[in-house]
Amino acid sequence: MVDNNQLKEAVKKTVSRDDVKYVVGYEKGTYGFQATPTFAYKPEDSKKFIFSPLCVHNLAVFPMLEEKPPLRKGQEPDTRKIGVVVKGCDSRAIVQIIQEKGLDRDKVVIIGIPCTGVVDPKKLEKMFPGHIKNAELKDEDNKFAVTVDGKTTKVSKDELMPDKCKTCEYPTPVLYDILIGKEIKSTKKEDYKKVNEFEKKPLKDKWEYWEKQFDKCIRCYACRNACPLCYCKECMVDQLNPQWVRRSVDLSENTAWNLLRAFHLAGRCISCGQCERSCPMDIPLMELNKKIEKEIREMFEYEAGVNAEEKPLLAMFKPDDPEEFIL
Amino acid sequence: MDTLLLSKKDLPKFITELIKKNKVFAPVENNGTIIFNQISKPDEMNLDSCKSEYPPKALIFNQTETLFKFTPGTKAKIESIDLDEKKVIFGIRPCDAKSVAILDHAFSDDFKDPYFIKKRENTVLVGLSCIKPEINCFCTSFDDDTPASSKYLDVLLTDIGDNYYVEVTNEKGKQLTKGMNQLLKPAKESDLKKKMEIEKKAVDMISRHQKTNGISEKLDKIFEHPMWKEIAFKCVGCGTCTYLCPTCHCFDIQDESTLTKGARIRVWDTCMNPEYTLHASGYNPRPARTNRVRNRIYHKYNYYPKNFDVIACVGCGRCIDLCPVNIDIIDVVTRAGEVKP
Amino acid sequence: MGEKFEPNIIGFLCNWCSYAGADLAGTSRIQYPPNLKVIRVMCSGRVNPIFVINALQQGADGVLIGGCHPGDCHYERGNYLARRRMAVLKKLLEYTGIDPNRVRMTWVSAAEGVKFAEVVKEVTEDIRKLGPMQHFKRENKW
Repeated sequence: MVDNNQLKEAVKKTVSRDDVKYVVGYEKGTYGFQATPTFAYKPEDSKKFIFSPLCVHNLAVFPMLEEKPPLRKGQEPDTRKIGVVVKGCDSRAIVQIIQEKGLDRDKVVIIGIPCTGVVDPKKLEKMFPGHIKNAELKDEDNKFAVTVDGKTTKVSKDELMPDKCKTCEYPTPVLYDILIGKEIKSTKKEDYKKVNEFEKKPLKDKWEYWEKQFDKCIRCYACRNACPLCYCKECMVDQLNPQWVRRSVDLSENTAWNLLRAFHLAGRCISCGQCERSCPMDIPLMELNKKIEKEIREMFEYEAGVNAEEKPLLAMFKPDDPEEFIL
Repeated sequence: MDTLLLSKKDLPKFITELIKKNKVFAPVENNGTIIFNQISKPDEMNLDSCKSEYPPKALIFNQTETLFKFTPGTKAKIESIDLDEKKVIFGIRPCDAKSVAILDHAFSDDFKDPYFIKKRENTVLVGLSCIKPEINCFCTSFDDDTPASSKYLDVLLTDIGDNYYVEVTNEKGKQLTKGMNQLLKPAKESDLKKKMEIEKKAVDMISRHQKTNGISEKLDKIFEHPMWKEIAFKCVGCGTCTYLCPTCHCFDIQDESTLTKGARIRVWDTCMNPEYTLHASGYNPRPARTNRVRNRIYHKYNYYPKNFDVIACVGCGRCIDLCPVNIDIIDVVTRAGEVKP
Repeated sequence: MGEKFEPNIIGFLCNWCSYAGADLAGTSRIQYPPNLKVIRVMCSGRVNPIFVINALQQGADGVLIGGCHPGDCHYERGNYLARRRMAVLKKLLEYTGIDPNRVRMTWVSAAEGVKFAEVVKEVTEDIRKLGPMQHFKRENKW
């Protein structure tokens, strides 16, 4: 259970600093089980901050969304810091961006929350369908207490947690300035069960599965825009000269887009699942990212977003990298 | 308007009749999502879900549409596209049908878009009333729309128990249902009463409302209000709202070609992308997310009503369901109505 | 009857080593299959995996990337980075059901004309056995 008062105090303290522009955190959403990102510009704004297992979003996307609008004459750019509330997995995104020199360490103030698992919104909707105007969800050790219209049901965590939480190896943020609560040691290990199962299938079946999934894609690019690590100023898919991926929506271009994105996140994806959550057509994007994560762990002994001093995976090499496929 | 009755067990026969003479599109289940696809048998349909994620406007205003084909070179040729395909969209909800009527304005204003207009003429909308609206449905916030309104449909079916109450509103609908006297019997006064009860029940189920009276005038006064920055700050610019919105109609035109042939195609575009308004000079009139989010709300609730007298939102709630950061248009517009200018 | 399937293979050859090697194979009049279509890049490290995917989309049945031997790269480390990239790309393609043997990589130096011809022979035969690339080819049907 995360102490919400401690969180509010920490946010208040951070916002009151002279060198902090604003702090991003979570607040209660507008209906049902929703939680939504919120911003504190003044110390009073910290009152609306909450943290509960409904806070699934990865807020590390916001420091990279800072825009630089044109300035008036004589106006100086605002270079103050940004505060971010992060869970264990989210903090890895920030560390990875720092590793790639996308962000300076001293540009962010990280308020870390040791996380014992969140709730998958899709699983929650299946279990509690229908009109829910006001609902609450509390973390009670190994169960979730779900309150809908005054009635509370206790559900085991296993039924509602997303897969990423069941194999979480970093419940405590890897990098933080303030920690809300005590550090949690990880007791789980990533076993890549789903990936291993899928790998056993013959090539033909694999393509059949992915063909159906890529056919669903509507190229809305929600996966790219919601991902904290997709922050290229000009995405390759928006390039027109030369145009690598056409704008038309058909199997060929959809496959090219999904493979392109999965590859460009190789060694950078920290498996927060934001892409899969944002996809309106329910494409299992995490499966591709998990496969690459498994391969780079085995082939290059590298994990994304763990050490801010390390060099990024595809920007370095070892003389004895695997090369059995090279003629 | 003709009012008829179709027995529930005759629905498959009705669909089969339609399939005999037309291309019929209905909601089908596709790997976990519901989309509108062509059906060849009535049991391919899936009418359980309230609304499809992917809007049915895609059947008239396709996501990828060929405008014409060409062969490059010294003996270049241009080939037009055949648009004569006749379609029936079955199972479309009243909100999505209204959205097609709203799109009519955009595509037949000062420039009459031949593709949309031709396709619209060749499409018949056979709707299905909503009897179980979802949490984010708010169609009743606009004019006098209801989940069982037949205003924008050619034919509307409402489930009243053992039968469907069928309303045939215009010539198109009459043409479609010609020769189906075996299946469509005349309806009685009691059937209309049942339909009105079901309609009232559905209207009562809608719990979230948006105050749209005078919103267009109010928005004129609050363009520079700081509330837009607050609302837009959590937008990640993903574009989901624009791709799923049944009334959004921005598009891009691109040429695609190989060395020997090509085509000019039109694809959906989104105003949430910074590149949407990026000028060739490098200047961007909507550089920040604040500008773009504000523009989207204004387009729907201010610019469109000023031009065409109708709010370009039908209250389907898809944007609220699927926005990854819970930007809620009901909340935004209600705040816009309450805030001091 | 039974025309042999002639695969279309795109080769991204690095300017300093493998392209020169291919040149040497040509000037030495060594015979090798004509199925390889060469695109010269300055370094194998320039090859972005989207090039490979784009080639497969446009009708190539296979892709060959030729680079300098490890340690010999003109730009010091481009070939090492390409090696890492292709290893990851092949695993990704295999997971989606596209045969990873369609994307091949080779170290050919500027003096290895004979090796280059051998490599092209081997890759052509391998891809001939795999058959034409069907999966996500651009239809261009409009």
